[in-house]
Amino acid sequence: MIQGTTRAGMMPVARRLRTYFAPIDRVSGTPTVFDPAKHGAFPLDDPPSPWIDLGWIENFEQQSETRIEGFETSRMDAGAVQFRADRGARVEFDFREWGKLQMALAGGSEHLNVLAADPESGAQPAGGSALPAIAVLEGSTATELLLGAAAGTFVKNDLVAVDVDYQQNLGYVGSAIAGAYVRDPMEVGRDINFVRRVTFNVGRVSQVTANSLLLAQPLAGGRPSPGAGVQRVVAFVDREGGAFLQEWSALFVWEAESGGRVCFYYPRLAPAGNTKNGLARETKSEIGSGTSALALHASFRAVPIRDEIDGAIAHYYRSYFPTAMSAVY
Amino acid sequence: MQFAKDSFYIALRERLQSLNPSRTIERNGVSRPAILVAENELPSSAPRSLDAYYIEFGEVVPTKSQGEQPLMCMECFLWYQTQGDSESAIDRGRKLGLLDLDLMAICEPPYARKRNFLVSPSADLGTGIFWSTPVLEAAKERAMVDGSRQIERWARVLLYFYAEVIPQ
Repeated sequence: MIQGTTRAGMMPVARRLRTYFAPIDRVSGTPTVFDPAKHGAFPLDDPPSPWIDLGWIENFEQQSETRIEGFETSRMDAGAVQFRADRGARVEFDFREWGKLQMALAGGSEHLNVLAADPESGAQPAGGSALPAIAVLEGSTATELLLGAAAGTFVKNDLVAVDVDYQQNLGYVGSAIAGAYVRDPMEVGRDINFVRRVTFNVGRVSQVTANSLLLAQPLAGGRPSPGAGVQRVVAFVDREGGAFLQEWSALFVWEAESGGRVCFYYPRLAPAGNTKNGLARETKSEIGSGTSALALHASFRAVPIRDEIDGAIAHYYRSYFPTAMSAVY
Repeated sequence: MQFAKDSFYIALRERLQSLNPSRTIERNGVSRPAILVAENELPSSAPRSLDAYYIEFGEVVPTKSQGEQPLMCMECFLWYQTQGDSESAIDRGRKLGLLDLDLMAICEPPYARKRNFLVSPSADLGTGIFWSTPVLEAAKERAMVDGSRQIERWARVLLYFYAEVIPQ
């Protein structure tokens, strides 16, 4: 053993993989960066902003699709040439926990908030005509929605969607995080509630005060936009189909129990469609005889970025935080 | 091995103190978190304390890991008993459930650094210890000589650690 170091610490031992996702600016294609120097080995329960903790996953499998090929010339002095071909990477795993973002990522397309509907409205697979939104007042934050006296129309534990009215605009919609892409207002029925149907700014009411709602978790998109409204959500729905493609930055962290921490950072992940198991959308994890937990299966293709350090094309980054006293090599 | 035992005990003791500061026992006039290592206590024929965790260590075997230092696996048993808070002891099952809950909570996260507590301040030994989720064995009731009833449980945990690694 080299003085002051251990080789035992070089063997990462981990049972669980924690996952975090963060939004991408869809207009510019700019990902959220995980900087090992800046963010370091952060506490797993307290990820750096804007990373969103999506809990533990299992059956994590990443595959490099990059091939290294080469050829040799007949001239002895020319030697051999090697090059990378078909550069790419895929990643698949199962979300053990269900939630709004987990469903959206596993589904890959628009993820719909089922808004509380007028009982007299016609039945629709993702909810009918929604009850009118209540205006969110100026001064609201990501965790407190000021509504005035209208706060009393909500009760503790309600789910709510918070976003702006649909203004017949084209392109990406959703404050701070794109939830859909509108090519023609007619396609979405010019529905004033359409943005709130697809927004990721959803929260659980933990307390109702005289004039506001306190949320248990901050809105993913931060402070509500001016002119935002709030509506009650009764369920989440995704669809086989849809036109929109989710795209997010992802970070996977092996919980280091002994040895160092290993992180996988994917600047841009987009849905891959088919999975190694065919088209399975959910998987079952047996927790006892005849009893299974239902997991959301997610499959992604890594979209490359150009690394500013040297201009190289990169699909993902693997970082390793050696544990104290472990040998370097 | 002693460092792994000490680190396991200290990790659980600190977590219990933080989680439930009122779960304490009196020892020699001093109040301390209600968790102790049986082999570290003065030999005594007195009955064990109620509402306290007693740690005992069992078999130690090497795992299949390969490397310069073998990864060892040690059985750890945590024993605790209660007679509840009411005079009739009718709440003893519920009280045992609270002890179960606290035990499960202090075992998370299931790892800690291995430290040398023979020096002050304690020194990091360069590796971690980690353990399995506790398996709670069936609770057993005992009738006491004075007519009261107590309920007790064993919990089993597998503790993993590298045999002592002491970089100098």
